[in-house]
Amino acid sequence: MLFTERSIWTMIHGIGLGGTALMALAAVLFAMYLMRRSYLRATEGEDVSGPVAALMWLTAAALWLTALVGTYIIFPPYRAAAPEGTTLLAQYPRTMLLADPETAWLHTFAMETKEHLPWIAAMLATAVAFAAWRYRSEFFRDPRIYRMAATLTVICLAAVAYVSLLGVFINKVAPLE
Amino acid sequence: MATHRTTDQMASDPAPREQTNGAAVAAFLAAGIGSLAMGLFVVLNEWDIYSAPSLYGPAGGVSGRTTFAVIAWLIAWAVLHARMKGRQFESRRLFAIALVLVGLGILLTYPPLWGLL
Repeated sequence: MLFTERSIWTMIHGIGLGGTALMALAAVLFAMYLMRRSYLRATEGEDVSGPVAALMWLTAAALWLTALVGTYIIFPPYRAAAPEGTTLLAQYPRTMLLADPETAWLHTFAMETKEHLPWIAAMLATAVAFAAWRYRSEFFRDPRIYRMAATLTVICLAAVAYVSLLGVFINKVAPLE
Repeated sequence: MATHRTTDQMASDPAPREQTNGAAVAAFLAAGIGSLAMGLFVVLNEWDIYSAPSLYGPAGGVSGRTTFAVIAWLIAWAVLHARMKGRQFESRRLFAIALVLVGLGILLTYPPLWGLL
């Protein structure tokens, strides 16, 4: 078989779900910027805030799924302990990374970060999605709600990009096969 | 002269606007509390003060830490929303508090910090 089940799940987690979240976050930020300008100029008109709220809900859903797949499907085989006497550690990524001082940081820093930060990103995205949905056009007109939501979205994007990069590093050295 | 609107026209009206900021403040504050909860569960585990039980054996302790943090977030959101919705708040200070909580939570998940504190 060309791809193992574990590597397919890794691709779903990183590229399918994580990639969707990254692109959606960038799209939401751009949409928020454009729509803020539009709402500041217009007095009345068609309320188009719904699509932004829907996109933010999609982003939040993608982030939750990314975190869940990562924690409950990807992480268990990653952290599985190698049986005593095993010399070929490729099937045990965590053990393999920790066995070499040059690669140990990929677990002790990179994976330890990836275990928790995505969950925070998912919470932030959910809060912004809720505010966009509940407030509709007021989400763009109220300067403080808008600025807070934009700030949290930027933090979310930075966090997701950061853990994605760490995931690329880990997968390059110790892919889950 | 009265203007009659059809049910279709009424149905297409945009959703009523939220007039007060309480619901937004509650959501953002709760996100901050959830972030801090995540960070706290992580450092308490690293310092061997409290380890959340592993809820799914193959995933280990992370399953407990993350689940407990999510529960803390949801409870905080439910309580804050119930108390703050429909009310207007001076949001600048509350949003700043939320940002500080988010920042602290993120910081506490930073592995090099665990050995420094």
